[in-house]
Amino acid sequence: MTLRTRLTLWYAVIFSLSLLVIGLAMYSELVLETRAKIAHHREATIDDDAGVDITQIMLVYGGSAIVVGLLGGWWLTRRTFAPVAALTAAAETIHEGNLHRQLPRSGNGDELDRLTEVFNAMTTRLGDAFQRIREFTLHASHELKTPLTILHGEIETALHDENLPPGPREKLAGQLDEIQRLTKIVDGLTLLTKADAGQIALHFAPVPLGEIVRDVFADAQILAKPAHLDVRLTACEEIHLPGDKHRLRQLLLNLADNAVKYNHPGGSIEFSLRRADPDAELILTNTGATIPAEMLPRVCDRFFRATAAHPTPVEGCGLGLSIAQWIVSAHNGVLRIVSMEGRTTVTVRLPVGTGEINS
Amino acid sequence: MRVLVVEDEKKTASFIRKALQAEGCAVDVCGTGDDALAAATATPFDALVLDIMLPGRDGLSVLTQLRARGNQTPVLLLSARGEVNERVHGLNAGADDYLPKPFVIAELVARIRALARRGGEPKSVVLRLANLSLDTVTRELRRGETKIELTAREYRLLEYLLRGTGRICGRMSIIEKVWDYDFDPGTNLVDVYIKRLREKIDDGFEPKLLHTVRGIGYVMKEPA
Repeated sequence: MTLRTRLTLWYAVIFSLSLLVIGLAMYSELVLETRAKIAHHREATIDDDAGVDITQIMLVYGGSAIVVGLLGGWWLTRRTFAPVAALTAAAETIHEGNLHRQLPRSGNGDELDRLTEVFNAMTTRLGDAFQRIREFTLHASHELKTPLTILHGEIETALHDENLPPGPREKLAGQLDEIQRLTKIVDGLTLLTKADAGQIALHFAPVPLGEIVRDVFADAQILAKPAHLDVRLTACEEIHLPGDKHRLRQLLLNLADNAVKYNHPGGSIEFSLRRADPDAELILTNTGATIPAEMLPRVCDRFFRATAAHPTPVEGCGLGLSIAQWIVSAHNGVLRIVSMEGRTTVTVRLPVGTGEINS
Repeated sequence: MRVLVVEDEKKTASFIRKALQAEGCAVDVCGTGDDALAAATATPFDALVLDIMLPGRDGLSVLTQLRARGNQTPVLLLSARGEVNERVHGLNAGADDYLPKPFVIAELVARIRALARRGGEPKSVVLRLANLSLDTVTRELRRGETKIELTAREYRLLEYLLRGTGRICGRMSIIEKVWDYDFDPGTNLVDVYIKRLREKIDDGFEPKLLHTVRGIGYVMKEPA
């Protein structure tokens, strides 16, 4: 039972009780007193039904008064609790991206206005804290790039020396590989932090998704050759949707790369792109170790690795799925991962929207 | 060829200068945006390497000012922020190319060369190296007398490598030019394609033409 219903009922009870008291008082005053007077004057001609009439009148008017009171109470509580409903609705929509949004205040200084004020102050404090973390990550990844640039440049310069013996050359080249890996991690972090802060503008235009899927399918076939994977494209409808071409290619390549990496030799990968109104549905299935159910909700987390599922370390920056998740969300789509009996299926649904009309 | 390098980080400026000098360029170095603007206005350069983050006037402001004054010197922007939007901003502000930090020096050098000779060299129709020939009109590839079939992607990759014969082609440039990606795909896609291409054009033939420069990129050349 909502607070509003409870209050209305209480209101009705109190209203009825007070009405009862007034009624009883009136009854005793009007009916009993009259009867007493009649008995006193002994005038039998006076109507003895006066008491009944008054009871009827009181029932009719009193009943209506209770109904009016109930409706009034309902209206009054609704009016009083409207700010609470607004607060609830607003609190439900708050997430880390819009913490600086302020709820409108009535300004009349009552308890609810005060609550809204405190609530606003709290989300502002939270927003500031999030902002500081984001700025810290951005600054950190930015600051890391200068030493990385110098390290990369100096090692590369050293490698250009033709008199460098093979031993040290191998060592330096190995360091260069690690610097490039570090760079990828820093780049991924920068990208995700900027995306969190809403600082990345996507360039939306009608995108031929079928074409991108075929391109990435061709790349996946090549990537899968060393592990002898069987790569198939089971369906590829021509679908145009509004999106950022580069980001969608990045998404597909990321997923395809995972499907190759987290596979077992001789396994398979299956691509399909179909229309599933009002969305385009892309499904990518690969064989490989099952991701334990309890780990599934976390696979898109930054730097999360389902280590237990993959005894052999897999190369990568640990941000691929986080980036994929971001790209899908930025396109108002949904990414879902299911894993069972040695098969992992990634389903991406992207709204087709108006891209179809524009194309 | 005379190049102005605008970079406030001394070590970075130093290895860029060395690398460009090794290519036979005359190199001037500036550490601030105002100095760069003055130098580029006073002296004609063939190309500018311009860092975005500079003390005082930043790189984008230098670029906007130069273009506003009608200076059309090709500009390669460098940026530590290295991320999509900045590339778009830079190119919109009038930059000719963009390289995120950290970069492969060989890429920087190749891009500066490409900018400086913009539209200069005619593109040959048949690209040749040793007994390998690639006809860019019929898309026919021959090694000696043997005809070799290529997929569309392999063809683009080989054409790109052959046009840069003798120079190292960095992974980033290959991804941009052959795949048309504006991001690092984070996969070993390029390496795998190179391996496939090598199987087709080098396996069973002499001399070997497609070489890997570990950690840096690839180069097509006849062994010395």
